[in-house]
Amino acid sequence: VLHTTRPLHTTQQSLAPVPPLPEKGGEVRHGLIPEEFFQFLYPKTGVTGPYMLGTGLLLYLLSKEIYVVNHETAAAACILTVIVYAIKKFGPDVAAFADKLNEEKMASALAMKNDTIQTLQTAIEEEKKEQWRAEGRSYLFDAKRNNIAMLLEANYRERLLTVYNEVKKRLDYQVALQNLKRQKEQDHMIQWVEKNVVQSITPQQQKESIAKCILDLKALSKSAHAAV
Amino acid sequence: MAGRRAALKAVDWAAFAERVPPSQRAMFNALKTRNDALTARLAALPEKPPAIDWAFYKANVAKAGMVDEFQKKFSALKVPEPVDTQTAKIDAQEKEAAKSTAEYIQASKARIAQYEQEKLKNMIPFEQMTFEDLSEAFPETKLNKEKYPYWPHKPIADL
Repeated sequence: VLHTTRPLHTTQQSLAPVPPLPEKGGEVRHGLIPEEFFQFLYPKTGVTGPYMLGTGLLLYLLSKEIYVVNHETAAAACILTVIVYAIKKFGPDVAAFADKLNEEKMASALAMKNDTIQTLQTAIEEEKKEQWRAEGRSYLFDAKRNNIAMLLEANYRERLLTVYNEVKKRLDYQVALQNLKRQKEQDHMIQWVEKNVVQSITPQQQKESIAKCILDLKALSKSAHAAV
Repeated sequence: MAGRRAALKAVDWAAFAERVPPSQRAMFNALKTRNDALTARLAALPEKPPAIDWAFYKANVAKAGMVDEFQKKFSALKVPEPVDTQTAKIDAQEKEAAKSTAEYIQASKARIAQYEQEKLKNMIPFEQMTFEDLSEAFPETKLNKEKYPYWPHKPIADL
């Protein structure tokens, strides 16, 4: 459909941004005659109307020699045939190629724009993250203060413990010293008593005690025989 | 001095670790190990040393008066609490850090404002742009027709 009637700035409201141009041009039949002509004649003459008109017009021109057939006509016929053939054959490919060039330009521009937006996004994220990180500084100082408090407390306890240990060591030393002395005295006494007792056993007493032992043994052996 | 039983503030190490940037991991680990070492040392020490059994010693030590003397001096002894010299410094450091953080956040916000470019988001799509629209959106692409009056309106080297 031909867009001759594209409404631009017709009303008070300005149509901005201007709507984009249509992708394809107006439709044509046989590459020459716009579709609107056929639509225009359709109500009166139906589908074949414009073709009849065209044929009649052509025959009129030829027969009345309004258009004279000469050498140029032959040349035109050949050239036009070749041109139409070439366009029909290679047209779509060339169009695709041109479109591709344009597409690439657009795509690269778009990619650039998207990349920039993405980079800025990530930069903003990073900044926000850093801000969040900076907010955590209170942890650091709490930890440091804790460290200090723990250190002080540990030192104080260690001092108390040292005092206690020292005093206990001294008292224990005294007690141990006394015990040792007492033990040594006891041992020495026992030894001395034993030595004296052994010394005081006279030979007379020894013989008497041996005789008594033998008698005791005999008595025991008798009772032992009886038991067995 | 009101410091002896200064309560230890619970530090959420997991949350703390999250906020540490990778460049400062080593310092953080050092701090944590130090903290752990101190905690272990503190936990290993009893809060009060056990009481000395004076009656036992009085009964067993022969030297007269020695135990009494020890007991008197022991109860009279005051172990000095270690003086806290560093907390003030830490508080000063904290204030400094608060100030510099505020500045950093200011600068950071300025940077964010810079990065936030509405122009790119609200641009018309490239397919619908004319060259004039392009020059409007990206002023650096505008051709300088006064300086270079002849096409291509820029030095050949820039093509």
